Amino acid sequence: MSDQDNKKPLKLFFWLWAIITVAGVAVSLWAPGYLMPRSMSNNMHLTILTMVVFSVAAAPVAAGVYAASIYMLRTWSYRGDDVPPPAPVIRENNKVVASWLLASTVLTVFLLIWGLGALAVDNSSTGKNPLVVDVTGQQWVWSFSYPGTHVESNQLYLPENREVEFRVTSDDVTHGFWIVNMGVQVDANPGTITTIHTTPNRLGEFTVRCEQFCGLNHSFMDTEGFVVSTQNFNSWLAAQPQRS
Amino acid sequence: MNRSRSLGIAAASVLVVGGALGLAGFALATAAPHQTALNCTPVQGASKTCAITLATYPDSGEGVHGKDGGAHPDWVTYSNDNVNVPANSTIVVTINQYDSGGSLNNAFFDQVMGTVGGTATINGKTVTHADPNDIGHTFTLRGIPGMGTDLFVSVPLPADNNSKTPVILNGVAYAKPVVVQFSFKTGSKGIYEFNCEFPCGGSREGQFGQAMSTYGYMSGTFTVQ
Repeated sequence: MSDQDNKKPLKLFFWLWAIITVAGVAVSLWAPGYLMPRSMSNNMHLTILTMVVFSVAAAPVAAGVYAASIYMLRTWSYRGDDVPPPAPVIRENNKVVASWLLASTVLTVFLLIWGLGALAVDNSSTGKNPLVVDVTGQQWVWSFSYPGTHVESNQLYLPENREVEFRVTSDDVTHGFWIVNMGVQVDANPGTITTIHTTPNRLGEFTVRCEQFCGLNHSFMDTEGFVVSTQNFNSWLAAQPQRS
Repeated sequence: MNRSRSLGIAAASVLVVGGALGLAGFALATAAPHQTALNCTPVQGASKTCAITLATYPDSGEGVHGKDGGAHPDWVTYSNDNVNVPANSTIVVTINQYDSGGSLNNAFFDQVMGTVGGTATINGKTVTHADPNDIGHTFTLRGIPGMGTDLFVSVPLPADNNSKTPVILNGVAYAKPVVVQFSFKTGSKGIYEFNCEFPCGGSREGQFGQAMSTYGYMSGTFTVQ
């Protein structure tokens, strides 16, 4: 087989890789808008951005696997009834090995640094007058109290563009406090208060769910939440019955 | 037997077994509730208003479990776990609470929430909340996600009066019940679920096992139709 014949299949591999990579990047950029819930906080925005960046970074790697599979099936498959001839001897190619190792290392370090940064940002507090909300899970109802106001509710009202500090606990078994649209998810453990921060940045309705299986009516343990303007939030607080 | 025939038989077997499991699961999931439904009784002279009476007992010797108490005669229970009420109506609920009690895990449930006027009457006295350290059970009703209007009603049922003139039911003496009455408005058709939020089930952290975690005892459904 001549050098020219050897290069033809490699061209096929690179074309396949390029096409699948472009398709993968396109899907990575397009799909989250349809598959992910509507973002209503800085945390959720970061979560979706992380998913997009990781998917884009993974696209050329996945494309390499698919392209190599197609390339090998097309180039080295044997058609015939006889015993196939011996396969070509595998030769080491230092350039390929070095490139693969280098690319893998760069990608892995990139993902690690991004992930650690996202984790750190995700639960950081700006310290600018956060609204504190005490969240209590109990089979199978969430309740929310607003310290300093004597207001308790089974619905969660939050003002727009103000940082919120959730102090989450449980009165019985472990529950999972999950606001999908805000990228807020933390266990509610009995006897322990866990804090998590977010800043709602879009008006609208959301659902608070339990994401830890907690018993008979776990699947019904959700409640409504609302992000409202500061003025409407204050009006809502004022309209609530005050506990003594 | 050739290989393709074996594969065919194996695939058919998987389909048959999978189908049978699917049918059995569907039948279980859609099975009618095991208790006869309690129907709301129209209140004469009041438009779109009906009334129901429930009870909470310290054991299962009363209510729908039968005189012998059924499978768990020592478990606390509501009198009914399956109630039919009309949509877009006012439901007047009377609950006779025969059980003793104690402190709530979460004082949030000492409040009367979601009722008409935000109040209930306890032995005839109008209240907005009860003593969180003297609760027998709670009646807490909420919507099931995706089924009907969002609804949340929660009313504390104080512990018994420690009456010295007990009531005899089926030959068993119970303390004179605390009578709690309230009304709430139903929304659209759907299924709503109620349970107790007082830790009366035992067996687990928070005391929410056994009767608290079994339909037919301290949990049930309201079918709005």
